[in-house]
Amino acid sequence: MVEIAATAIDAATLSTREVNALMRARLESGSTEICVENPNARHNLAVALLRPGRVRFLGSVGYYCGGLMDGAEIHVEGSAGWGLAESMSQGHVVVHGGAGNGAAAAIRGGTVVIHGDAAARLGVSMKGGLVLVAGDCGYMAGFMGQKGTLVVCGNTGQAFADSMYATTCYVGGSIGALGTDAVIEPLSAEEAATLDGLLAEHLPAELRAQKPAGRDFKKVVAGRKLWNFDKHNWKAWQDAL
Amino acid sequence: MDDTAVDSTRPLLQSSGTYTAEVMRGIHTKAETGIYEIRGYGTLRQRRWATFDDLTFLPCGLTRIPLEGYREKCSTKTVLGGRFAKRPLELEIPIMITGMSWGALSYNAKAALAKAAAKVGTSNTTGDGGLSPAEREFAKDYVYEVLPSRYGIDVHDLRGASAIELTIGQGAKPGTGGLLLGSKISETIAHQRDLPVGVDQRSPARHPDMLGPDDMVIKIEELREATDGQVPIFVKLGASRTFDDVKLAAKAGADVVVVDGMEGGTGASPAILQEHTGIPTLAAVCEARAALEDCGLYGEVQLIIAGGIRDGVDAAKAMALGADAVYIGTAALISLNCNKPLYVEDYKALGTEPYHCHHCHTGRCPVGITTQDPELMKRLDIEQGAERALNLLRAMTLEIQMLARACGKSDVHHLEPEDMAALTMEASIICGVPLAGTRKVFGR
Repeated sequence: MVEIAATAIDAATLSTREVNALMRARLESGSTEICVENPNARHNLAVALLRPGRVRFLGSVGYYCGGLMDGAEIHVEGSAGWGLAESMSQGHVVVHGGAGNGAAAAIRGGTVVIHGDAAARLGVSMKGGLVLVAGDCGYMAGFMGQKGTLVVCGNTGQAFADSMYATTCYVGGSIGALGTDAVIEPLSAEEAATLDGLLAEHLPAELRAQKPAGRDFKKVVAGRKLWNFDKHNWKAWQDAL
Repeated sequence: MDDTAVDSTRPLLQSSGTYTAEVMRGIHTKAETGIYEIRGYGTLRQRRWATFDDLTFLPCGLTRIPLEGYREKCSTKTVLGGRFAKRPLELEIPIMITGMSWGALSYNAKAALAKAAAKVGTSNTTGDGGLSPAEREFAKDYVYEVLPSRYGIDVHDLRGASAIELTIGQGAKPGTGGLLLGSKISETIAHQRDLPVGVDQRSPARHPDMLGPDDMVIKIEELREATDGQVPIFVKLGASRTFDDVKLAAKAGADVVVVDGMEGGTGASPAILQEHTGIPTLAAVCEARAALEDCGLYGEVQLIIAGGIRDGVDAAKAMALGADAVYIGTAALISLNCNKPLYVEDYKALGTEPYHCHHCHTGRCPVGITTQDPELMKRLDIEQGAERALNLLRAMTLEIQMLARACGKSDVHHLEPEDMAALTMEASIICGVPLAGTRKVFGR
């Protein structure tokens, strides 16, 4: 097997447009490994990558890294700002540090893995895919989640899983407070096993070892009381975020 | 019997000016349902505020020379987005089809509008739920809306657009997200939006990944990155604090600002929002122009005005006040036979009649426009609908040209406030044009 060396891009001397254009050009010409040096928490890196291939950022990235992506793989060896991988169609994003507000917002597919903590509105309006946070998350995570799976190994903030449609959430730690219409359902043995598999697949062994076992997660889904208006359930609507 | 004598046997029917029949019926309905009224269409109020009808054009006489109304050239070409985009949107006419979702509208309606827009050389806009199959097939230039809900968002469709519209709000309900009742969340629409079938879809009011104008600067740049800076980025605002909002949008990097006034339509919304939020379109265009002038970007950032634009007259007046183009929505639907006396029994089944229908939210549109019911949809023939919408767009364009020529303009974009007088004090104050019969701009 021939080992292909990663092609390096030094962002320090290039504009964001140039960095993104270089990434796209290299992916289109067949590069499978791209390494970006000096990302310096710059916004809008790796936006709309539409080809398979792995991009490594050697440092932190700013807002909307991996936004509107379809098919690439991104590793951030640092932290990420707001809107990580927002509206992603397909792809794989791993952040070694923490992520800002609205991580994985509105994703329709793919996987977003955050080794650290995620801030507010994690997975808001997600429409598919998998979001996995090894640490804690802020308030309103899962808000208006439509489809897909949201896993938080640590603790959640308040208003967790508020006003959801059909996203399924799993929490390994404590839930700050459930949002409106969020309900805890029993976790099946199959789901526990699936969770164990997901954690083993997506987290480094050392990190996985610090996290709860699949069977210890709580499952949170929509109570479906907000799906259609019901005057007998007025309180839920009054309180709905 | 003396005709003027009071007939004491006949009841004297007095009605309250406070508790009108409409008010009482509203209270009765809320007492039954426990929820605010939801309906479509837009404001139903009798407009007592200043509107475009309160302005009149001042055609040429001796002070200015008119163009021959039916012969001399009067350009309607419209270019939007030259501020930053490498490929500004170039249209044959200054009238565009506004964002109306596939979901609120039927496939046939979206198809008819896309075909009409393509044929006349203008754009249509996607609406909530992403690009419809109809637009994919028939549109030539489409504006891709990026809405708070992000339903159906697809980067490939976004990159195929001639412009991107980042929607912050809409005129019918600024500050509130979209609404599509369960009767219209068919299997097809549910699939497109990643929703369960039959839910009452309440869209978020805020974008999931940004909050204020500071974030929006970065968001706009993201959209530029996603499209290689090729196409213009519009920012659409529901008209409320228009002066400040337009300045913030322009300073955030918008190529084009769209302002949608309170006469704007909707497929479904709480009625109170349609009736009691936002500012009228006439006021909005004046505030928007003043805002762009205030920050030195008038002419560099284009302005599109929407909300109750009914004909070429409204469009011409909006343009004279500062708009570069207008959006039409409800007028385009009316061209497809909305409210026409066809299938009258079906209007009655909805509790209404032709010319009074505002029941888009029910999904039972008698003429096949705002429905997902396959049988109702068949009532709107795509080819015939496209021809009617095309005719409307062409007729409106001729109306704008007629007024422009009469005012001595060889380009419809040369219309200016000085081409008009106000018919009311309010219009004079708002628009900064003299009240007819005086040489005075009131309020200045």
